[in-house]
Amino acid sequence: MRTSLIETQQIEAHLLQHSDTGEALVFEAKMLLDPELNEKAMWQQKTYQIVKLYGRDQLRQEIETVHQKLFTHDQHKNFRQKIMSLFSKK
Amino acid sequence: MPDEKFSIGTAEGREKLFIALYKSVFPSVAKYVAKMGGAFDEAKDVFQDALVIYYEKVVAGSDNIRTNEKAYIFGIARHLWLKNFSLHNPNVARSDFDIEIEEEPQISDNKLLSFLQTAGKKCMDLLRSFYYDEHPLNEIAERFGFSGVRSATVQKYKCLEKVRETVKEKSLTYADFVD
Repeated sequence: MRTSLIETQQIEAHLLQHSDTGEALVFEAKMLLDPELNEKAMWQQKTYQIVKLYGRDQLRQEIETVHQKLFTHDQHKNFRQKIMSLFSKK
Repeated sequence: MPDEKFSIGTAEGREKLFIALYKSVFPSVAKYVAKMGGAFDEAKDVFQDALVIYYEKVVAGSDNIRTNEKAYIFGIARHLWLKNFSLHNPNVARSDFDIEIEEEPQISDNKLLSFLQTAGKKCMDLLRSFYYDEHPLNEIAERFGFSGVRSATVQKYKCLEKVRETVKEKSLTYADFVD
């Protein structure tokens, strides 16, 4: 792996707490001495958050697709009628 | 309640799982919401949120919830409905369910997401598999057509770097307009 990827991997180990105590201490010392590394770690942390939001967003779309299928396709007509009858009594 | 445990590692498997859960659990949720005087869209909303929470729990390794998924999902949906829609129970106790779902994205995050959905979809899908769905490495390698676990891992870090750069660049740009 090229050097920058190894660094990305080390940042990951640090952020996701995969490194052992010794490695973690070394990495923290490196971050203190290297503002650029510190900054990369900050953006990488933000990237994991964005990936989580992306994953959740995609999953919601998958669920909505299932909902649309169940509430429009003929094969699920009985299910749909059963649900809608619950709300039509009001 | 479905006896069969669908694999959630593929889009097809998840679709089967969600259809099965809709058929087995949504009627109880809809019945509850209707009885409480709520609307169909409210039942839909809380049920879909409950499915997201359930999925994230299963990924996080709470396998035991899959043995009693119907009660679990119904419980979350009921809690969310009482919290978000009920006029009579404004002070529903906070619980574990709230914490995760309340991590709502910022406006700048939404702009960033929509940019990444178009410009970086391939990498985002790969990263989703690794970090959100937490699929096993060998399955990811196979699904995305890599020769093996190692090349999938290298590609993961390449994508991580690429997206990290985009996140940095776009966050700084959007911050000018948002903050």
